[in-house]
Amino acid sequence: MLSRIGNSLFWMGRYLERSEHIARYTRVQYVASVDSPLAHNQENVLESILHMTANWEGYFQTQQQLEANAVINYTAISEDNSFSILSYIDRVRENARGARDSISIELWEAINSFYHKINAYAAAGLHAEEIEYFARRIEENSYVMKGYIDNTLLRNDVWQLIYLGMHLERAIQIILILQTKFKDREKMLSGPDYAAYENFIWTSTLLSVESFDMYMRCQKTAPDKHHVLNFLLFDTAFPKSVAFSLNTVKQCINEISFQEEKKQGFIHFEAGKLACNFQYTTVKDIEENPVEFLNTTLESIYALAHLLDAKYLKYN
Amino acid sequence: MDGAMRQAMTSGVFGNYQTPPQFLDEVFCQAGKVNPEYEALYSQFLKYSKDDYRQLNEHAKTSFFNQGITFSVYTDKAKGVERIFPFDLFPRIIQADEWAQLEKGIIQRCVALNLFIQDIYTHKHILRDKVVPADLIFSSKNYLKAMLDIKPVAGIYNHISGTDLIKHSDGKYYVLEDNIRCPSGISYVLTNRVAMKRALLETFRKFKVSTVQEYPQELLATMQSVAPQGVDAPNCVVLTPGVYNSAYFEHAYLALTMGVSLVEGRDLYVEKNFVYMKTINGPKKVDVVYRRIDDAFLDPMAFNPDSVLGVPGLMGAYREGNVSLVNAPGTGFADDKAVYTYVPDIIKYYLGEEPILNNVQTYRCEKDDDFKYVLENMQNLVVKPVDESGGYGILIGSKATKEQLAEFKQLITQNRRKYIAQPIMNLSMHATYIEGEDRFEPRHVDLRTFTLLGKDRQFVLKGGLSRVALKKGSLIVNSSQGGGSKDTWVIRDDSAV
Repeated sequence: MLSRIGNSLFWMGRYLERSEHIARYTRVQYVASVDSPLAHNQENVLESILHMTANWEGYFQTQQQLEANAVINYTAISEDNSFSILSYIDRVRENARGARDSISIELWEAINSFYHKINAYAAAGLHAEEIEYFARRIEENSYVMKGYIDNTLLRNDVWQLIYLGMHLERAIQIILILQTKFKDREKMLSGPDYAAYENFIWTSTLLSVESFDMYMRCQKTAPDKHHVLNFLLFDTAFPKSVAFSLNTVKQCINEISFQEEKKQGFIHFEAGKLACNFQYTTVKDIEENPVEFLNTTLESIYALAHLLDAKYLKYN
Repeated sequence: MDGAMRQAMTSGVFGNYQTPPQFLDEVFCQAGKVNPEYEALYSQFLKYSKDDYRQLNEHAKTSFFNQGITFSVYTDKAKGVERIFPFDLFPRIIQADEWAQLEKGIIQRCVALNLFIQDIYTHKHILRDKVVPADLIFSSKNYLKAMLDIKPVAGIYNHISGTDLIKHSDGKYYVLEDNIRCPSGISYVLTNRVAMKRALLETFRKFKVSTVQEYPQELLATMQSVAPQGVDAPNCVVLTPGVYNSAYFEHAYLALTMGVSLVEGRDLYVEKNFVYMKTINGPKKVDVVYRRIDDAFLDPMAFNPDSVLGVPGLMGAYREGNVSLVNAPGTGFADDKAVYTYVPDIIKYYLGEEPILNNVQTYRCEKDDDFKYVLENMQNLVVKPVDESGGYGILIGSKATKEQLAEFKQLITQNRRKYIAQPIMNLSMHATYIEGEDRFEPRHVDLRTFTLLGKDRQFVLKGGLSRVALKKGSLIVNSSQGGGSKDTWVIRDDSAV
């Protein structure tokens, strides 16, 4: 496989996954703010959305204050914002287009027709409330595209690279969501309604990852810091947990026929180290300083992603 | 004729169809009667109400759009607007015997042009015998010194040719243009056929239409046949300028249907005169390149040093015979519109045969007599620059204003080598669905055919791209200037098999 094609497939997987998580997070946070136990919560929610989607700085370059319609438009559909959901969908399509001769016609048509539909829908701009409809289309179609990825592609390097990109990005997004939630929570720690807020914040975290019911089935207790971290980071049976995602990353890298030795500094080694590290860590080990653990884990994942980009999928 | 049919003729999609008096309509004869070969098709189409047909047409368009069979039109918005290449569902029919003659003529022409290119880059006999003036060749910007004495595998230069034909009011076909650089359009032929089958399967079954779907396999076999000597299982690739090229869909489609890699210049490199592609498993040697990049951009070391699309050192590898390029670089001087006028002589010179296909009478402005004639009769002529493509820089005398005529006279006088003129050919017309009007109207059409030459193999696709000038009265069929297309049905002669 051409390195350039490998690069396109890897990034197609990453952008597909990223657009889905950002869409869901934005929708869930915005909708939850309607019946939040705290007054003035809407501002906090808008801040939270801007933080999680890496849009804080970009937004305030053109806007003076937080305003729901402006935040939603900037995050969801702004053409000038290369971190908007629509920009990610563009890049999914651009990467698929660059790798067209490697993917199936069915997958390409699904990506291409969705790209056109969502662009047409967004052409008129969004009211903040429309994020519900818009984000759901993104989430559903992400699953449709993943269905085509799973059911029409050969299980070869093409599929492995898309899968690798998706799961690497999934681990990143889950960590970003948790980081943002810790930041949101910090603002409230001294407030009077703190107890009610604690439950609210962990519930909305689970909803942002589409995992509330599965969490309840496994943990059988109201969401709190300990149990949510345990589930989203370490539950190897839950397909969106970081442990599950990093394990999949390791498997994909082992399956792809990269040419190399298995020693330190090489991709198999680094991916294996990361996944194993996670496998033998428990929530108790990290509970004292979870934020630091999230930060160092994210750095290791970025380092792995950089290694792939710079060494194995480089073509220029 | 029953009442319902009579009603359909006036109120349906063919209602109020005006047969053009001064042109040949391929579907209707002058009295407004349907030509026999179109009768079955016509009666089928009469069954559609305007609403049915509009829906059918929309359905076909959506299918093209979702497949990404589009080209970009650039606007001031960040994203270009994407348009489909308009497609007309009413096909053009060519009878078996008529086609057989065309096919012979096309092969004759392509083979002769190939011998001509070979001669020019080696012995130059034809110039010494003064059949074609040497100036004409050496003044062409498409003549490449870098090609001198290179010997492509099997002596093939124009592996892929797109020969453009028109049908004149006299009912005969004429060659309008030879395209032997990177002719495009084949993907539209193939996808049009798929769309036709989806939309009109029943109608389709009533005709013995020749298939076109074998083209990618034929192209692959042609590429494999010209692999460098000693290579058993050649690695063939399609070289594209990238996703932003307007023909990217075609490049990807051909690579996909041939099952070969679609590469960009940056995927390739040359080491010790061999070409490699960068893969995730390390370098892999490339043997045959179907390049869809123009000569000037192929190799920044040999040609345009600013090119970022090409591959440095590619021409060196080619010269050493370690890679085959399809088509060979430097074929462009031979499809030059000034050389066109000599093609009948070229055929006679190399093959000792009379040309089977007609050439359009052409006046070369560099010849004094012709120059004088062109200046005096410009209002009855089409004036074309010899080295442009895509329908640019053309003057149609009968439609030009006084100022335009004066301006062109000046342009020609300044650079006589650059211009030729031809009588205004009356491109035949074909019933074409006009959106907005919700009915069929006659429009001018031409036909691009596709020919492959390989080692010991020749192939002409039975069909081609019928290009339609959608603008009323327009003679220019190029997609960049408001052209559309039709599926072309070459009827099988099963008795001959």
